[in-house]
Amino acid sequence: MTVRHHPSDDLLAGFAAGTLDQGQHVAVATHLARCAQCRAWARSVEHIGGSVLAGLPPSALSSDAFSRIEARLGEAAPTVKPALPPAPGSLDDVPGLPSFVRRYPVGGWKMIGPRVYLRPIVLPDAGETRVFLLKSGPGTKMLEHTHTGTEMTCVLAGSFTHEGGHYGPGDFDLGDDTMDHRVMVDPGEDCICLVAMVGDLRLKGWIGRLMQPFVRM
Amino acid sequence: MVSLDCLVVRNDRLGRLDHSEVIQVTRPGVLALMDSIALCFPLLGASEAVSAFRLRDAGSPRRSFAMSIDSERPTDAAQWSRLIEAVAARQDRDAFAELFEHFAPRVKTFMRRSGASEASAEEVAQEALLTVWRKAKLFDPSSAGASAWIFTIARNLRIDLARSERRRQPFGSSDVDAEFQVDPSPLPEARLVAAQSEARVRAALAELSEEQMRVVELSFYEEKTHPDIAETLRIPLGTVKSRLRLAMKRLRGRLGDVS
Repeated sequence: MTVRHHPSDDLLAGFAAGTLDQGQHVAVATHLARCAQCRAWARSVEHIGGSVLAGLPPSALSSDAFSRIEARLGEAAPTVKPALPPAPGSLDDVPGLPSFVRRYPVGGWKMIGPRVYLRPIVLPDAGETRVFLLKSGPGTKMLEHTHTGTEMTCVLAGSFTHEGGHYGPGDFDLGDDTMDHRVMVDPGEDCICLVAMVGDLRLKGWIGRLMQPFVRM
Repeated sequence: MVSLDCLVVRNDRLGRLDHSEVIQVTRPGVLALMDSIALCFPLLGASEAVSAFRLRDAGSPRRSFAMSIDSERPTDAAQWSRLIEAVAARQDRDAFAELFEHFAPRVKTFMRRSGASEASAEEVAQEALLTVWRKAKLFDPSSAGASAWIFTIARNLRIDLARSERRRQPFGSSDVDAEFQVDPSPLPEARLVAAQSEARVRAALAELSEEQMRVVELSFYEEKTHPDIAETLRIPLGTVKSRLRLAMKRLRGRLGDVS
């Protein structure tokens, strides 16, 4: 299946420039793992970064800068960096994740609504963005909601539909406080998404208000 | 007699278009494409090597080339790649000294503009070049230019540094490199595409105005540094952001999807 929904050019540029927080980085990386087109653009941005770097005016270094580094050239390179401890609940069974994400610890699945499950991923350098997997049963009609922050979603398996179109594996969706989403999971299989969320999800309607304490994690 | 029209584009130090001219080259006999390009080199002078070219009008008997020359001293992008290869092949310290002299002060500027302190910027500049020395064997000139490769090293060290300051863990303890490896199956063609990409990126950047180039530069620094730069450029912060988005959109449009 072809990927149809992509992160914006400047969000991808932010990825390659290394300016995203880790949660957003993970969401964009998950899309990139499935999308050669966007990988090519991200690589171009690295080339742009090279041109920018080469064009910068030089800053004066301390007078002994080179001699200090020269003294270290003979040193053996530090051995492999300490590997992250293996994740307690493994992400190996989850399709479509970039390999570095699979090494992160995860929580267990917890039910947050009828046929809707959430599984938090623990980031080594969590900023303001929380990352979790969201699994919804086929045909689930998600609650109408709006956001108080930015929410990035990348589909890993299954598919869903909302006002913005149809989203299958690899598709990337950016939600913010300007849009209301009525998400419908397509029939046939579970839909699993990786979600990176800044701020709270505000659910409309009485069921939403009832459920809010759970969704807040 | 085959005649070649070579469009020679000179770039200044920032990669912007400086001037262009057409040089006619003739040589008896029909030439293979690569021969023709090799022939053009001596005309350009030893200190100006060709960093990018593309074939125009391939079918016509008068062949035209567009060439881009980097007037960056001491040499051009390909020369930096050769120096890294010399470090990889025989731990060439002279080659390393040249790389250090050129790139370390620029990595330091990159870090200063990213908001790092004088001491941290100097430390990252040192570490970046030490990484160049240690990882020179991993450098693949067919997939990334020297500057792009060193940029990714500096970028990853900057993330590592920010993390170590935030989380009080030692500098150098995060495996940031792994976080940028997202390609599940790098295809052999990917290298070629990347090499073409670099040439196209240079050409696209050459068309930007100085101000646009500053905005593009800005996108490589974290958002918290933007207000300072908005002040230097004397434009409102909101304008900086919208121009940034526009510049990236325009660049991607120009580079196309197979960039």
